[in-house]
Amino acid sequence: MSEINLRKIDDFRWEIPRSYKPGMRVPGVIYADEKLLKDIRQDKAMEQVANVAFLPGIVKASLAMPDIHWGYGFPIGGVAATDIENGGVVSPGGVGFDINCGVRMLKTNLHFEDLKGKLRDLTYALFSNVPSGVGAKGDIRVSAKEEEEILIKGAKWAVEKGFGVQDDLDCTEEQGAIAGADPVAVSERAYARGKAQSGTLGSGNHFLEIQMIDQLYDRDVCDKLDLNLGQISVMIHSGSRGFGYQVCEDYTRSLVHCLAKYNINVPDRQLASAPVNSTEGKAYLGAMKCAANYAWANRQCLMHLTRKTFERIFQHSWQELGMFLIYDVAHNIAKVEKHMVDGQEKTLCVHRKGATRAIPPGHPALPQKYRKLGQPVIIPGDMGRNSYLLVGTGGAAETFYSACHGAGRVKSRTASARTVNLDTLLKELESQGIIVKASGRATIVEEAPAAYKNVNDVVSVVHNAGLAKRVCRMRPLGVIKG
Amino acid sequence: MENYEVFEHTADIGIRVKGKDLKSLFKNAGLALFQVSSRKQFTKNKTHVNLNIKISADNLESLFVDWLNELLSLSAARGLIFHNIKINKLEDNSIEAIGVGSAINNYKVNTEIKAATYHQLRVVRKPTGWLAEVILDV
Repeated sequence: MSEINLRKIDDFRWEIPRSYKPGMRVPGVIYADEKLLKDIRQDKAMEQVANVAFLPGIVKASLAMPDIHWGYGFPIGGVAATDIENGGVVSPGGVGFDINCGVRMLKTNLHFEDLKGKLRDLTYALFSNVPSGVGAKGDIRVSAKEEEEILIKGAKWAVEKGFGVQDDLDCTEEQGAIAGADPVAVSERAYARGKAQSGTLGSGNHFLEIQMIDQLYDRDVCDKLDLNLGQISVMIHSGSRGFGYQVCEDYTRSLVHCLAKYNINVPDRQLASAPVNSTEGKAYLGAMKCAANYAWANRQCLMHLTRKTFERIFQHSWQELGMFLIYDVAHNIAKVEKHMVDGQEKTLCVHRKGATRAIPPGHPALPQKYRKLGQPVIIPGDMGRNSYLLVGTGGAAETFYSACHGAGRVKSRTASARTVNLDTLLKELESQGIIVKASGRATIVEEAPAAYKNVNDVVSVVHNAGLAKRVCRMRPLGVIKG
Repeated sequence: MENYEVFEHTADIGIRVKGKDLKSLFKNAGLALFQVSSRKQFTKNKTHVNLNIKISADNLESLFVDWLNELLSLSAARGLIFHNIKINKLEDNSIEAIGVGSAINNYKVNTEIKAATYHQLRVVRKPTGWLAEVILDV
C-alpha cells in the first residue's frame, strides 16, 4: 500500500513532487482518475515511478499511464525520456524482458452472423495452427543465415518469404524493422534461446483473439477505416520470446557495472543503465533493436498463420475476407525520437514499458493512409471484457506521444489462481458467448478478467486526458491463450 | 515441506527460499524455478543430460541472480527442465555446478519464467541458515 502524498493537477493527472525522495531529478506524473488511483495505491508502482525519476538525463517527468502496476525496476505502464546530448541514459529495465511485446489488429469483412456455427471450429483451428504455450516450436523453420536476416529486416523478412504483403509493413510501427539493429551485439545464447520460436505466440498474457466491434465512438474515423458495428476483427499480442528475454538479461547484467563506471545513482539495480552515447548503451540499443525486429517478424508470421486458418474455414482468400492489417504497435521498447522540451527540439531516448506510441495526425512517421487520421493505437483488454482502437492526437505531446498499453493487472497471478475457479470462469465466459482455448489451465485462471483493471476505465482516462481519441470498442468471441 | 514458498507481486511472482547453508540455498532456489513452473507428467524421453555450469559475479547477490538466470536460459536454449543440481564449488563470487535435466516434453509447463530480477532482491544469513527472496518476471 502506497501512502505517497500526491498533488492533484486536474481530474486525470497527479504529481509525485520531486521533494518526495531526494535524488529525483524530475517529478512523477500519474494519469488516472480517483477510482483507478485507489487500485494504483494498492502496490508499489508509485514508488517505482519515483525511482525512475532518478535516471540521469530524464526530462519533464517520470510518467505513468492509467494501466500502471508494480513491475521490477520500472513500473509497467511507465514512460521515461532522457536527453541524449545531456548524459541521458538507456535502461534495459525500461524496456523489459519481452522486448517489443506488442499488439496488432486486423479487420475482416465478416460480420458476427457469418461466424454463427463456425466460431468454435475457427477458435480450435487457430489454436492448433498457431503454436502457443511454453516451449512451443514454430512451424516456420529458419536457417542460421536467415536468423541474422530477421534481426535486420524484421517483418520485411516475413513478407519476402511470402508471409504477407507490402501493405502490412506500411501499417506496422517502424515499418516492422527499426534501423540500427546490430546482430554482433547479440549473444550466442540469445540466438540459441530464440531458435525455432519464430511464429509462436508464447504464454502468459499473450493471446490471439477473434473479436467483434460492439461500440463506435467516432463515426467519422470508423468510416475512414471502414469499420462498423458487428464487424469481426482479430487481435494478436506477442513479443520477442526467449530471444528478447536473453538480450535483456545479458545487458541488465552488464549495465549493472555501468552504474559505478558512469556514477549513476538509482535506488534499484533493475534500473541498471548506461549513457545512450556510451559503448555499452549503444551495444544494448543495437541488440534491443534486433529483438524488436524479431518480434515484428514474429507477429507477421502469426498473422500469416491466422489468415491461412480463416482461408481454410471460410474457403475464401484472406484478401476476399478483407483481412487487412489496421496497425501493429510495440509497447515494450526504447526509441530515439525528437520531441519539444521547454520550447526546444531535443533528441530523446523514449522508454515505453507497457506503453504505446500514439503520434498525432500529420506526423512524418505515419504512413500516407494515416497522415490525416493519426496513428491507430491498439489497446487490448482482458479475455472477458473489451479491447479498444484509438487514434493519436496532438494532446499527447506531454507524454512524448504515448498512451496506455492495456488494462493493467490489479491482482497477482497467485491471488488470481487462488480465487478463481476455472470451470466457473469458463462457464461464465461461455454464457457471454466467449470461447477460450488455452495450452494450460493455469494460464486461464491467472489471466482471468478479475485479475485486471477494467479496461473501459483505463481507456476513458486516456481519452479524457487527451492522450488519444477513442475510435471503437471490441469484445472477445474466441480467445487463444498460451 | 518445500524449501521455498511463493509470495505475491502484482505482475510477477516472488519466491522465498531457505537453505541450511549457502550451497543448499542455491540448489533449492535453482530447483524452485522449475518446481513452480512445471510438473512432470510423461516419460517420453528418458535421457538425462548433465550440464556443467560455471559462472562468476561481483558479489553474492549478483551471483544468485546470475545463477538463476543461467539455469532459466540453459533450460530454454536446450529444451530441458532441471530436476537435480549438484554444486561442486561455491564462493561469494563464483559457482561451479552440474545441472541434471530431462527433456521439456516430459513436463507440463504452466508458466514461462522469463528471468530473475534484482528488484527487491535479498540474500541473507539467518541464525538457522540462509534465506533469499527474488522476484521472477513471468
